[in-house]
Amino acid sequence: MKKLYLSLVAMLVLFSLLGSLVMADEHGDMAKVRVLHASPDAPAVDVYVNGDLTLEEVPFKTDSGYLEVPAGTHDVEVFAAGTEYAAGEGVLQADLEVEAGKAYTVAAANLLESIEFVVAEDSMEVTEGQAKVRVGHLSPDAPAVDVGVIGGDALFSGAEFPGITDYAELAPDTYDLEIRLPDGTQVLPLEGTELAADTVYSVFAVNTVDSLEVIALVDYEAAASPDEMPTTGLGTPEQSQSMWLLIGGALFLVAAGGFVWRKRFQ
Amino acid sequence: MGLCGENDFNKFALPLALVFLAGCTAAPQDEVSIRSAEVGFAVKAEPARSEQPKKVEKAKAAEKEKPAAKSKSKQAANPINELNQPGIAPEMLSIPSIGIEADVTHLGVTDTGEMAVPDNGEELSWFSPGYQPGQRGRAVIAGHVDDLDGPAVFWDLTELEPGDEIIVSGENRELRFKVHTMESVPLDLADVDSVFGYHSSPELVLITCSGTYDYDRGTREERLIVYASLVEE
Repeated sequence: MKKLYLSLVAMLVLFSLLGSLVMADEHGDMAKVRVLHASPDAPAVDVYVNGDLTLEEVPFKTDSGYLEVPAGTHDVEVFAAGTEYAAGEGVLQADLEVEAGKAYTVAAANLLESIEFVVAEDSMEVTEGQAKVRVGHLSPDAPAVDVGVIGGDALFSGAEFPGITDYAELAPDTYDLEIRLPDGTQVLPLEGTELAADTVYSVFAVNTVDSLEVIALVDYEAAASPDEMPTTGLGTPEQSQSMWLLIGGALFLVAAGGFVWRKRFQ
Repeated sequence: MGLCGENDFNKFALPLALVFLAGCTAAPQDEVSIRSAEVGFAVKAEPARSEQPKKVEKAKAAEKEKPAAKSKSKQAANPINELNQPGIAPEMLSIPSIGIEADVTHLGVTDTGEMAVPDNGEELSWFSPGYQPGQRGRAVIAGHVDDLDGPAVFWDLTELEPGDEIIVSGENRELRFKVHTMESVPLDLADVDSVFGYHSSPELVLITCSGTYDYDRGTREERLIVYASLVEE
C-alpha cells in the first residue's frame, strides 16, 4: 500500500508540476508528461510533484493529458486521494528524469500491493499521411498477447506485462483488430478500428484478465506551424503625434502666412 | 515697423508654442504599450481530466440498454474510435465580454515564414495549415491591435479576464472556449512551436501585438497571447 501511495504521489506530483508550469515562460526547456492510473484495485489518487499537489483524485483508467514540466529530474509521489502529504510517505515515489522537447507517459501499473511506475517515451512525430500505433500491456495477470488483424497478421507480437511496444506505422484506414493469445484465441475484439492520418495512438490493455479492457489515447496529431509570430499591428505609435505635428504645422503656416500678409499690407 | 512686425510675430509665436506643447502632451505616448504593460494571468489547470471515466460511464450505460449485445466485451464501443474529435474551419469569432465580433479568414504563412494576417484591421485570420478549432491541439487566430486609423479588432484583447467566453463558429457548428491564460511575450522569447503546437485537448490561441514599438523591426516588441480551452458541449 505504501508503494502504491508512492506511485500515486509521484503521478500527482507530475500532474501538479506540469499543471502549474504549463504556461511558464521558459518554453524552450520544457518536456511533456502525462500520468495514467492503470492500477485496477488502487483507489483514486492525489499526485504531488516536487511536493506540490498537481493532480487530485485521479481514478483508475484516467489520464491527465499532457502537462508541461521543466526538463530535469522531478520527485513524483502518489498518495491515496485525500491523504495528507508527507514527503516520502506516498504509496509510490519516483525521481522522474525528463528531457526538453520530449514527451512521456507515466503509468501507475500493477495491483496495489505491487504498484509500480511504467514509463515510456511518446512519439511526437509521424510520417505525413500515415497513422502510428503502439500497445501497452498493463493488465497485471494477463498472459503475453498479440495484437493483429482478425484472421490476419499480428501487428504486435508477444506483448507482456508490464511493457509498452515500439510504434508501428500503418496506412490510415479502418481495421478489424483483436487482442489474442499467440495461439490465436481471441481475448478482446477491436473491430472497425479507425486509424486517422497524421495521428499517433497508444492503446493500453488494462484491468485484470477477467475484466480486460482498453484505454486508447492520442499521443500526437501533426499540424504545421509557422517560423515566426504574426505582425499584428498596422499602425505605429507616433501616428497620433504626427497628427498633432501636422495640425501644429498647418497652424504655423497659417500664422506665418498671416504675419507675412499683414507685413505686406503695413 | 520692424518692431511692430516682431511684436506681431511674438503674438503668434506664443499661442503656436502652446499649441505644440498641448499637442505633444495630449498625444497618447503609446496606448498599446501602456495597455499591455502589466497584463497576464494564468488559471491553474484542472488537475485531472475526466474524459476517460465519462467514456466508461457511457459504455456502461450502453451495456444496460443492450445487455446481451456485448457480452464478450465490457466495452460497448471501440475506445479507439471514441478518440475521433473533429474540428471546424472557423468563419466567425465573437467575444461577448469585450464586444468583439469579426469574420475569420483562412491564411497560412508569409514569404518570410511569419503567420500571415489580414491586410485590414477588421478581419481576423486563422492559421489554416495548423490545428482546427475543436481538434486536439492549439488553433491560432490572429488580429491587428491597431491600423492606420487607430484601434483595430483586437485593441481590447488586454481587457479579457479569466473565464471569458470566446465563441467560434463555422461548418454549422458553434464552439465555446474559456479563457484561462494571457501573457505578453517578447518576440524573441516566444516559443512558436509551443504556441502553435499539439495539446492533449482542444485549445484556442488568440494573438495580437503588444509592448513598445520597435522602429528597427517595424513591429511591436511583444505579442499578446491568450489561451482558451474548449468547453465540452
